[in-house]
Amino acid sequence: MVKIYNDYKDHADFLTVYVREAHPTDEWQMKSNVKEDVCYAQPKTLAQRVAIANDFVQRQKYPLPFGIDDMNDAAELAYSAWPERLYIIDEHGRIAYAGGMGPFKYNPEEVRAWLAKRFGPVTQTSSTSAAVPAAGTR
Amino acid sequence: MSRFWKWTLGSFLGLLVAAFVGLSFMAGSPKDVYGLVRYALPHMHRGKLRAGDDAPDVRLLSLDGSNRFHLRERTGSRPLVVIFGSYT
Repeated sequence: MVKIYNDYKDHADFLTVYVREAHPTDEWQMKSNVKEDVCYAQPKTLAQRVAIANDFVQRQKYPLPFGIDDMNDAAELAYSAWPERLYIIDEHGRIAYAGGMGPFKYNPEEVRAWLAKRFGPVTQTSSTSAAVPAAGTR
Repeated sequence: MSRFWKWTLGSFLGLLVAAFVGLSFMAGSPKDVYGLVRYALPHMHRGKLRAGDDAPDVRLLSLDGSNRFHLRERTGSRPLVVIFGSYT
């Protein structure tokens, strides 16, 4: 998503929304997260969510605008967002693209295709456009 | 127990074991099968929003933890790509 952001940030706005952890240590932890030292318990407070979100942004040097879901999981529930999902909202406030539930149906290339159809394909590459692999942000 | 029921029960248990082994192989481990059923399965029927629906407005917290804003505040002038996810 970082490369798509770099390619289309002059045409569209982007917002990453941090929701409930997908694979925390106290629930369904994945071996890959242990290997990559991405080990967090499910946040019980908003301050813990803020701390993990900041860890993510700093460790991954993540450049996209960021928001954090409240502890009542309002955003997650409204958008069926867990564990990861992509949307595009048009200028009229309507859903223009609704992606599938990640990780199996999480497809950034569908977002790129939508943006390319609307604004034309962008093929530029730069040193700042390296993809950052992480849940919900690939 | 009649021979018929023994075979039926045995076949059923065999299929269950085969399904569990197959899922374990696909998911990575038996623990991941449990995680899939316990955490992912309840979410698989969700996702009712479709293209053309009004985008729900939700209140979010900024990264510095001190300011709140509405998703709707980020829409209006250009398309908004929204990426939901977490760190793990």
